[in-house]
Amino acid sequence: MRFWKFLLAATVVVYLAALTIVALSWVHHLKLSAEWKTVWSFELDPRARVKPETQNAALKKKIKELQPKGVYIMVDSAENRLYLKKDGQTVKEALVSTGSGVVLVEPGGKRSWVFDTPKGEFFVKSKIQNPYWVKPDWAFIEENEPIPKKMEDRVEAGVLGDYALGFGQGYFIHGTLYTRLLGRNVTHGCVRVADKDLEEVFKASKIGTRIYIY
Amino acid sequence: MKIVIKGKERQAGQKHRWLKVVWPAILVAVLSFSAILFFQAQGSWWGKKEATVPETGGQTQKAAAATVTPVGQKAASAGNKSEQRAAQPTAARSQAKAQPTQPAGSSTSSIKDIPEPTLQTLKENRFLEEELKLAKTPQYYFVLNLREKTLELRARGMVLKSWKASELRYTGKPVPLQVTTLTNKTALKPPERKVLNPAEQQAEEEKKAAEKAKLEEAKNKKAEEAKKPEQAPTSTATPADTFEVEALEITDMPGSYELNFDDGLRIFIRSRSGLQESFRQTRERLLWYTWYPVKHFLWRKSELRPQLVLYFDNMREAQGIYWAFIDGIKGIIWFP
Repeated sequence: MRFWKFLLAATVVVYLAALTIVALSWVHHLKLSAEWKTVWSFELDPRARVKPETQNAALKKKIKELQPKGVYIMVDSAENRLYLKKDGQTVKEALVSTGSGVVLVEPGGKRSWVFDTPKGEFFVKSKIQNPYWVKPDWAFIEENEPIPKKMEDRVEAGVLGDYALGFGQGYFIHGTLYTRLLGRNVTHGCVRVADKDLEEVFKASKIGTRIYIY
Repeated sequence: MKIVIKGKERQAGQKHRWLKVVWPAILVAVLSFSAILFFQAQGSWWGKKEATVPETGGQTQKAAAATVTPVGQKAASAGNKSEQRAAQPTAARSQAKAQPTQPAGSSTSSIKDIPEPTLQTLKENRFLEEELKLAKTPQYYFVLNLREKTLELRARGMVLKSWKASELRYTGKPVPLQVTTLTNKTALKPPERKVLNPAEQQAEEEKKAAEKAKLEEAKNKKAEEAKKPEQAPTSTATPADTFEVEALEITDMPGSYELNFDDGLRIFIRSRSGLQESFRQTRERLLWYTWYPVKHFLWRKSELRPQLVLYFDNMREAQGIYWAFIDGIKGIIWFP
């Protein structure tokens, strides 16, 4: 009988202790959750802040000044969409093709290329009508063809469409022959747009127009 | 009426004999409760003591996070002074110049007296200062608003893309209102880049072409025998979405994964998709509400690693975040 009494007492104690720990844990948990809404990490002396509202307005103004003015281009590489914007308003939306993310390895493993569309802020650096494609080495390696020594052998007309906007490091927003593939990630890093859509983008943008790719 | 238990006759006064066991048990429980409360108080005191020890890296940031709270729970001049100075807003820095060795406790006590709207303004001020730092760079960054449950991708202070979470949970010590950097992403099935090796590929293609030609020949023979009309090729009518392209696309991204940040913060992104995922999320939810509070209470160090869980109804949204969050992306997490 004594054993059972002891066991019962022990069970009750363990149960109550566990309950207490859980309750206290929850009190602690709620306290922590409340801290998320209030805590921030800096030494704060409110007396130092004469007019925080004025300071906030100044900061907002500084941030706004950094935003692009007039026309700019946004490219969503995940959804393969291009947005031509003017003062924050979408003027044109177009289906595009962006980088495939494929890795090309040169036979022998000497060189490799990752076909990603670069992300970040860029500027229109060149505007070309009826562009020619000067094929880089990877274009020949991909086709398993020998790399030509003469420049003339690298030039190919017609494949980049009617217009091209260069934004640095050999990347372009250009037209395409493969309109069926618009909306898919199939390019070597450039942004392919249908010629009709690109015409409007080409005419609206100038050298220096900002491009945001994400 | 007599009550007989195991052949013994119950005597007067022994009717509630079980109380003799329960009362001491309750007494022990109360004592243990008091003991735990005492240790908790000790723990917070230790925590304060730890915060005053100068540390490096993530730990310092955590200590800094605990230094000043509007409710004035913990206040200490913690951590690396240079880091702390960097974290100060300009107005506070100007004051610091005037009073370089101001006791932190005094500032905390004064924080208590500030009205809520002013505190909000000060908090916004802190956020704007941090955002300005990021907006000056050419890279895009993220802003996670815990109140609105929105995750925004911004560049130069302009919103590029935003996602709205259907549910958001957080635990552990709050993250400091300062720029944080994504160190890596982890997923059960991370996307793998396709590797092209043209020489090998050509040999394989030739093999396949030969096999295909053989099959076609056999088919043609059968067709001729059956004298059935040939079908027109359907490839031209296929929409782009049905093409099988060798590429890494948004649909290849995982719907559930973890984002790890340099200050120890972990953000779990979850999307409601599939039975397996719903089982996993139920298990996580149970752990979240039962085990995590106990773990944080008993092992205080565990709470130094804050965690956030964001649920999205649409899997594509979670995949889009995985796509946009490249390693090294910077951002701010705040509760306006």
